[in-house]
Amino acid sequence: MSSKPEGLESSNISCNDAPAMSSETVQRPPPPEKPAAILTRTKVIAAFWAVIIFLGFPIWWQTTSIHRARLPIQEMVNWASGKTCRPVFPLEIQFATPSLPVSDAQHLLRTTQHTLDDLNEFSAHHLRLKLLESSNIESNSPDGLRSITEDNADTVLSVRLIAQEDLTAPRSVLHSETTQLDVFYPPSQVPVPSSSNSPLSAFIAEELQRLFGEEKATIAHVLSNNNGADHQPAAVLNSLPPQIAETINKRERRSMKYAETYHLAFSLFTPGSAPSSWDIEAAIQEYLTPLLQAFSPISNFTVDTQVQLYAMFSPMTPQPEYDESQAAWTLKKEDLSAFINAAEWPLSPSIGSGPTINFILYVPAPSQSPMVVKENHATSWIIPQWGGVFLLNAPLSTSQPSNPSHLSKESLQSAFLTFSHQLLTLMGTPATPTSLPLRLQTLIRIRAASLLLSASSTMGSLARLTKSLPSIPIPASVATSVSTTLSHLSSACDQLREGRFAAALASARVAETEAERSFFEKSMVGQVYFPDEHKVAVYLPLLGPIGVPLAVGLLKELKRIIAGWKSRRSSP
Amino acid sequence: MSLLPNLFRFISFLLLLLYAFPVSAEHTSNWAVLVSTSRFWFNYRHLANVLSLYRTVKRLGIPDSQIILMLPDDMACNPRNAFPGTVYSNADRAVDLYGDNIEVDYRGYEVTVENFIRLLTDRLDEDVPRSKRLGSDSGSNVLVYMTGHGGDQFLKFQDSEEIGAWDLADAFGQMWEKKRYHELLFMIDTCQANTMYTHFYSPNIVATGSSALDQSSYSHHADTDVGVAVIDRWTYYVLEFLETQVTSANSKLTLGDLFNSYDESKIHSQPGVRWDLFPGGEEEGRLRTVVDFFGNVQNVEIENANATEPGSLKEDLAELAQLVEKWRKQEGYHAIRNDIPVRNESDVSSYPDTEVDPRYYSRKRSKGPTKMTDESSWQKRFVGVSVVAACAAVWLTGSILAGS
Amino acid sequence: MPVDRRKALVFGAALALRLVLLLLFPSLPDLLTGRVEVSTPVNSFKRLQEGLFLYTRNISPYDGGVFHQAPILLPLFSLLPNSRDFPLPTAVFYSLIDLVNANALITISDSGQSVSSRLYSALRKDIRWDGASIAAWFLFNPFTIATCLGRPTSVLTTSGILYAVSNAVCGNSFNAMLALGFASYLSIYPALLFIPLVILCYDIQVQKAKTPSSATLFALKHFGILLASVAGLLGISALIIGDFGEFVSATYGFQLLVPDLTPNIGLWWYFFIEIFDSFREFFLGVFWLHLAGYVGGLTVRLRQQPLFIITSLLAFSPSSSHTRLMTAVMRYTFFASSALLYATLLGPAFYHLWIYAGSGNANFFYAITLVWSLGLSILLADTIFAALREEWELENPEMRGKDVRQV
Repeated sequence: MSSKPEGLESSNISCNDAPAMSSETVQRPPPPEKPAAILTRTKVIAAFWAVIIFLGFPIWWQTTSIHRARLPIQEMVNWASGKTCRPVFPLEIQFATPSLPVSDAQHLLRTTQHTLDDLNEFSAHHLRLKLLESSNIESNSPDGLRSITEDNADTVLSVRLIAQEDLTAPRSVLHSETTQLDVFYPPSQVPVPSSSNSPLSAFIAEELQRLFGEEKATIAHVLSNNNGADHQPAAVLNSLPPQIAETINKRERRSMKYAETYHLAFSLFTPGSAPSSWDIEAAIQEYLTPLLQAFSPISNFTVDTQVQLYAMFSPMTPQPEYDESQAAWTLKKEDLSAFINAAEWPLSPSIGSGPTINFILYVPAPSQSPMVVKENHATSWIIPQWGGVFLLNAPLSTSQPSNPSHLSKESLQSAFLTFSHQLLTLMGTPATPTSLPLRLQTLIRIRAASLLLSASSTMGSLARLTKSLPSIPIPASVATSVSTTLSHLSSACDQLREGRFAAALASARVAETEAERSFFEKSMVGQVYFPDEHKVAVYLPLLGPIGVPLAVGLLKELKRIIAGWKSRRSSP
Repeated sequence: MSLLPNLFRFISFLLLLLYAFPVSAEHTSNWAVLVSTSRFWFNYRHLANVLSLYRTVKRLGIPDSQIILMLPDDMACNPRNAFPGTVYSNADRAVDLYGDNIEVDYRGYEVTVENFIRLLTDRLDEDVPRSKRLGSDSGSNVLVYMTGHGGDQFLKFQDSEEIGAWDLADAFGQMWEKKRYHELLFMIDTCQANTMYTHFYSPNIVATGSSALDQSSYSHHADTDVGVAVIDRWTYYVLEFLETQVTSANSKLTLGDLFNSYDESKIHSQPGVRWDLFPGGEEEGRLRTVVDFFGNVQNVEIENANATEPGSLKEDLAELAQLVEKWRKQEGYHAIRNDIPVRNESDVSSYPDTEVDPRYYSRKRSKGPTKMTDESSWQKRFVGVSVVAACAAVWLTGSILAGS
Repeated sequence: MPVDRRKALVFGAALALRLVLLLLFPSLPDLLTGRVEVSTPVNSFKRLQEGLFLYTRNISPYDGGVFHQAPILLPLFSLLPNSRDFPLPTAVFYSLIDLVNANALITISDSGQSVSSRLYSALRKDIRWDGASIAAWFLFNPFTIATCLGRPTSVLTTSGILYAVSNAVCGNSFNAMLALGFASYLSIYPALLFIPLVILCYDIQVQKAKTPSSATLFALKHFGILLASVAGLLGISALIIGDFGEFVSATYGFQLLVPDLTPNIGLWWYFFIEIFDSFREFFLGVFWLHLAGYVGGLTVRLRQQPLFIITSLLAFSPSSSHTRLMTAVMRYTFFASSALLYATLLGPAFYHLWIYAGSGNANFFYAITLVWSLGLSILLADTIFAALREEWELENPEMRGKDVRQV
């Protein structure tokens, strides 16, 4: 906009030295130009054009071209369509057979494996039985937390075969604190080498199928969401009983979306002035840290806590009612969704960059204690994808009903174990088998699969975006992120194939983060639609007034030179 | 192996091929993006439109954290407002839309085309707070409501910008690519509104606008005390439907009912609806309930203290108690190996087995805080004197050289 | 000497006026410091104070992204007592700088270079003002007074340029280059004046010494001096700050890339607010080229009047903080002056409407800055036209006094 006056000024320069000044009163031809003036004019015009040509055009070229880094489009599309990697989950199960001769044990394993393979219709997820040399039994402690970080293929389950004389049929016991399954069998059922199957191997196979049934269904569910060429997972899914499919669907709706870091916010709300303190640090250290430690391969967690006194229900919420039969204040189930006073309770969703999982410990007022849910007398509930609530009916002091002013670690135990359970649920941990280490390992496999697929599909989205929107810039950082993603995707895929699930999850996490980073790159918001008339509007107001005198000057000069050249040619 | 199960499997496989992209009606969360695009007092009605919608979706259960409200001006505090601190969308002034619980996420000059597109596509700086982000995912139903001054295939933002129908379509396209919505309801109240959704191409969108090409959208009525028009016609009748018919979050009224309630003689323009992007088209889309978009998923899972099936509270508590017990025993061991403090600020280096590129985590390296020392003026003055002296010396040398 | 007495009178009166204004309206300097008409992000005194605060406490002054001025100002200003508690020393310092600048103007004017140089001698030698009048014109110009009280650091750049010119006309080309180096170090664009300044120096040298040296060698030598002085100052800055890259990106990077679009009376801020982001870099390039582009053309055309080129080029500075300098050297026309007056009066009003009252928008203030630059441009065009006509009349003596028409 400064152009106009200055353009005018530049026209002064190029016009004034032309033989253009004539008297207004007397019409007569302007005096002839001196050759020096002509030369000066040529120089002036040349000076301006030199700047335009040697500086202006390079700058124009440099600054208006859209930088698009080269992306491996085909590779990205292949990942997204599942052509590059078909995730497989070979689960290694170790057998310890202290009471069997090795040859018998091997035969048993072979027949069991055979039975298993017959039963399994989902080839991506299969069990591999491995006989453990008896010398290794002691050294390899069946510690679920530790085995996942070892470098060789993760042992998913250790099975110990124990002979027991007084049994008629084999039975099994799953240790709920480890990843160990004890199978007790009558010695008579050990298969003879000639037979191809035996009740014992059928039993073990069925037992293992049952243990990993839910995991298989979940993984089939995850894989079926990938619109690749592989239809087997979907077929597996369709053959499932509907209630299992429903459970999986429900879990998916309930659990949090994956994030690299979750913020856990523990809040103590009470409508009065007490309790005003709680032994929160010790309680978290004691009851929650074990679980967080177990979750550490899956996500990072940060913990924040707060105490909010005089926290009132929202005026719209129906108040709890006293129920004589239960001798308690009751909340109706349909009112629970309004229990949290979202407007006034400071449950900020804005801590850091990851999602927040809220856990609310509500201590009812002494006049409304104890408080329970009307329908089933429960004191806790989960709000899907958001967090959990626990009603802590603190023991009232007898003389004058009032809440204790301090909540000790012990009084928080039930609450924090419930929160741990809610956290398990919200993280999408499967319900079976009934061993926590096994469930967490299953979760690792499920997460690895879903992250692998989600990062791959992000790659596909980015590739399609790149093709469909040719006007957005693609900075070099996107290309770097894409190549990091692709390399981690392929290592995750390889690690899955080798059965190293924890390592695969770690790679998949990096791939997911980098894929997200590349797709959500900040500078990839261009003016997507930019018609040519806009370009005219951008260039013309400034460059027009500057450009026209310069162009006219150049033309005149060229004309003069050509004319001079011609006259010189004609009259040598 | 019998033939029957195999045959059954084959048939189900065929069925699956038929429905290669099964779309389930279920959604897991609701988000609303409510945008007014005009400033200045005489556009009071546009802000009132948006605030009315805001009030309605909040009433039907979408929490503030899932509503993105963009208001380019503050009518409540405008000096011309005869009722300071309030905004009304009706001359009876029964409901103060401003109330005491308004969370405006983008305000004033933050409401720009760029920010709007960044919001939809989530291409935002890492440090943009979550309240300013659209955190929707593949299970989210998103309501996008826009109002302002528009024209053929554009909508003006504030004074100087406009968003084109192409840009909007591409933004939704990118959202679909990244699975940022499950189903999307796009509503727009502006002149020639229906032209804004003509370029949409991504599936699962229902779009509706207030007026056809070359038609104006009119305001409904003015409040003589406020002095300006307080609401637009189309929005007024949409709200009338929502407020009088959709009374609770469990309402079974459908989008079909909502669109049937359009009365051109009252609205004074031809509202439009676009169904073709929706799977199943109009028949299917009409069956979606209004609260699918205007309400929130309201389910709470009560934990039955007496249930004993796997994964139930009781079972989990037992397992967790064991975990805690084991942890207590091994605490010394783990404390040495991996000590996680209570406030465990995500320390990534604590996984021994992850093959993580170290560059990847050091990317966000920042300088630590600098320590401020006391004012050391004498030292600094000494530096100052020496600098001045040096400059003066050079200058004098120059003068002397020239003089000689 | 009578002239000297007049000069002393003017100087004394100017100093007194500044101090009286300060004593009568103690809040005036702070008010003016905050005004966008006076201070820009690269010369604001407030920002300098922030930088000083950090600097005296051993924190990098560029932390926090507020301060964008050359580091050498920091030890310089740390010599003055805190201007919040003791405003007087700073005010005296700025007033003295004004006087020093006026002194340089007198030197320039008295040298007579503007009317008769080596290749050119004006026709209207007789209608020249003497030095004291020009100094008075400069010192009592309300723009100058406002700037002095507003304390932007760009006055130092002005001093650098003025001393470069005054030393050049006196024939001290070494000091001219030093001063130009100082000005270029403070804000980049004075470096554009190098070519005309070298021509000026060369002309003077040729006039004085009868044996002219080679022009190329002369230019190269002076370019070397300029580079050395800038390098020396950069070296001192590196010693002061420690982190060379940080201060270069915070000062020169900031000036070149214009990331802070705080409104001022220049035109860039509005343009870059409004421009589509993808074209931002392009227009940044265009604007800087626009500045640089005139050097060549003007130098070639007005080869005979190098001093005039310098004054013309000053007009293109990005924040128009040199207005006062130009008004000191040039003649007003009615239209330009009324445009400037109009802008001066309405500018603050529209700024208030936009920023504080909220009843206007950026266009209001921008319109005023447009009028302002229009006024300046008319002024400039008029002076160039006058200079050209003067030259033309010199060549065509028979046309003197007749009306001319531009065709």
